[in-house]
Amino acid sequence: MIPLATAHLKGPHIDFAGLSPLIALLGGSVLVLIVGLLGSRWIRAQAVPSLSLGALGAALGLTIWQWNAQKSIVSGALRIDDLALVLNLVLIAGAACTVLLAWRSLAAREAAHGEFHALLLSSVAGMSLLAAAQNTVALFVGLELLSIPLYVLCATELKREHSLESGLKYLIVGSVGSATLLYGLAMIYGATGTTDFAGIASALSNGSLATDPLTLTGVALCVAGLCFKSSIAPFHQWTPDVYEGAPTPVTAFMAVTTKVAAFGVFLRFFDVALIDTQVSWGPALAVLATITILVGNVGALGQSSLKRMLAYSSVAQAGYMLAGVVVSTQLGVRATVFYLAAYLFMNMAAFAVIVARERQTDLGDSIGALAGLGRERPLLAWPMTISMLALAGIPATAGFMGKFYLIDAAVSGGYTWLGVAIVVGSMISLGYYLPVIAAMWMREAPAATSPNDASVLAPTPGPLPALAGGSSELDEDGGPLSGSQPEVLVVAVLAGAATIFFGVIPQPLFDLVHGAGSGLGLF
Amino acid sequence: MSSVLFFLAAIGVITGATGVVVLRNPFYSVLALVIHLVSLAVLFLLLRAEFVAAVQVVVYAGAVMVLYVFVVAYVGGESDSIGERLRSRGAVGSGLRLGGAILGGAVCVELLIALLGTGLEAINGYGAGYSPGPQAYGTPAYIGKLLLTRFLLAFEVASFLLLIAAVGGVVLARRRGGLEDEDERDLLTPLEMLRPRGTGTMAEGVGRRSP
Repeated sequence: MIPLATAHLKGPHIDFAGLSPLIALLGGSVLVLIVGLLGSRWIRAQAVPSLSLGALGAALGLTIWQWNAQKSIVSGALRIDDLALVLNLVLIAGAACTVLLAWRSLAAREAAHGEFHALLLSSVAGMSLLAAAQNTVALFVGLELLSIPLYVLCATELKREHSLESGLKYLIVGSVGSATLLYGLAMIYGATGTTDFAGIASALSNGSLATDPLTLTGVALCVAGLCFKSSIAPFHQWTPDVYEGAPTPVTAFMAVTTKVAAFGVFLRFFDVALIDTQVSWGPALAVLATITILVGNVGALGQSSLKRMLAYSSVAQAGYMLAGVVVSTQLGVRATVFYLAAYLFMNMAAFAVIVARERQTDLGDSIGALAGLGRERPLLAWPMTISMLALAGIPATAGFMGKFYLIDAAVSGGYTWLGVAIVVGSMISLGYYLPVIAAMWMREAPAATSPNDASVLAPTPGPLPALAGGSSELDEDGGPLSGSQPEVLVVAVLAGAATIFFGVIPQPLFDLVHGAGSGLGLF
Repeated sequence: MSSVLFFLAAIGVITGATGVVVLRNPFYSVLALVIHLVSLAVLFLLLRAEFVAAVQVVVYAGAVMVLYVFVVAYVGGESDSIGERLRSRGAVGSGLRLGGAILGGAVCVELLIALLGTGLEAINGYGAGYSPGPQAYGTPAYIGKLLLTRFLLAFEVASFLLLIAAVGGVVLARRRGGLEDEDERDLLTPLEMLRPRGTGTMAEGVGRRSP
């Protein structure tokens, strides 16, 4: 028997600088959890969101501090490069918008503010981990750290049946997706004998392993698992129900950041580890992308719930972004990352307006809640208009630049028909984006809102008139209805402005994503 | 010997798994799952993964299954089981069953193609030879070393994941009562945490606190 003392175990070198954004997020999560237990209602309702904004700010600063780093840290578990850092920026911006949207939400109060924000921050940490993971074990743990808090966040409006249904559905479908992905990762490990992305790539590059049925089955199961997470057809069925049922700030968070993380994995795992099997998964993903574009765009037609419509629209957008993965070139990676950033601005503007209208009217997220918004509250109507036009890909918006970039990548990667599919999909999408704009600018405000509406023609973000239909629960403690919601308005206006800005002057964003493409070793 | 053991365990695994799905009574389903998990542990032993086999028995067949049995005994006494309800739903239920069976069969066929068609030689062999020693593959020492070196980050993040899963469980379980609870909750202020009760403040003097 060998005594334990002789077993010299040298731990791996831990690069705390590289890990610092992750540590800021996880530490912030614990801090918020503790502060949520202390003090008065004021501390819980105001200090906790401020603290979680602070943690996100710290993570943002540390991410920028790490800029231009090119290193593998903690015995090769994570890769800190421009792709990971750019995706981190998008994730943090999305999470910060969510914190602002959830500031006065019922969901945060029902789940208790501390717990709500702790779950949110740990989910962001999981996404950040996922975007940097270059080891299948770290990848899977990151995916679970992303998913498990999200399952709970979806169900935080516990008294609303739809919210519980949404959480349960997401839990079951998400678990099936995770299990499928894990099965695939196990098969790839079985075929290659290693869990590191670089090791998998070198094992696949020599011999006939790249066409071995075991490897290809593993790849197929991984594709299915990730498609569940990024809601790509035919694995998208959960998306409309979950998006509609979840509290709107959580929906906004899910719609944007989950996609960022899932596409981060798609880019790194498929373009680094599985690049030698690209001849097999490239055409398969291209077909999936086309199906997704069609299913998402056709499904969104005729939806009366805005959240449901945006859910189908997000399915279609996932199809567009998949085009950048399919081609597996530097241009493709850049186009996907660019579109992810544009997608953040477009969706956050739309969801901020939905949050604002949900609190002002009793129509919920139906399209009728927006009727007459153009005359009544232009500051909300303009961001929504910009967002809808950008999602449809109208020129002078970030959405147009993103689609243009993606089509360019698809065509130069030899997938011209995929570019055509994107264009056709965008044409169909006008059929459901334009009615929203028409409702805002051409329809009269519904009588249910308030007779006072005539007096508030001016676009003042000041105190809104007390509107009919607010539940008594919302009205207590100076609820959202009695006060203005400057933070929601700020998110809507800033996101709308960014959509226009990067549509007219896309160069800063181009520069930002330029490094992301070159770090993966593609040509 | 190992072949005999393999076939016995394999029959146990498949029978157990089938039993979980087929049996009507949830209690029997849980017991079938125990058979499945124990047989699986035997298969792990045959693969020289002693540690995983032990964990499988202790954690799954032991702790988790006891929880399942408790839950089933606590809430599972309903007359109509899940399978009956699915069947009585009519077209939708039977369609789901058929679809599920087709998908399950497709996955089975896919895995068979993967395993039978692969060119990996190790799949036809009998596994690595048994080499005793504390640092050998599959031993607790070997796995512990991996967790603290190569998979350190995953290990640490997994511990955080357990924390946040517990927080999520509490969020879902506690909030049944709704918002009213929040106001009635006994709130802790930083002062109260530092100062024990009954140390003589004005508030205590007039009976406002700890009367």
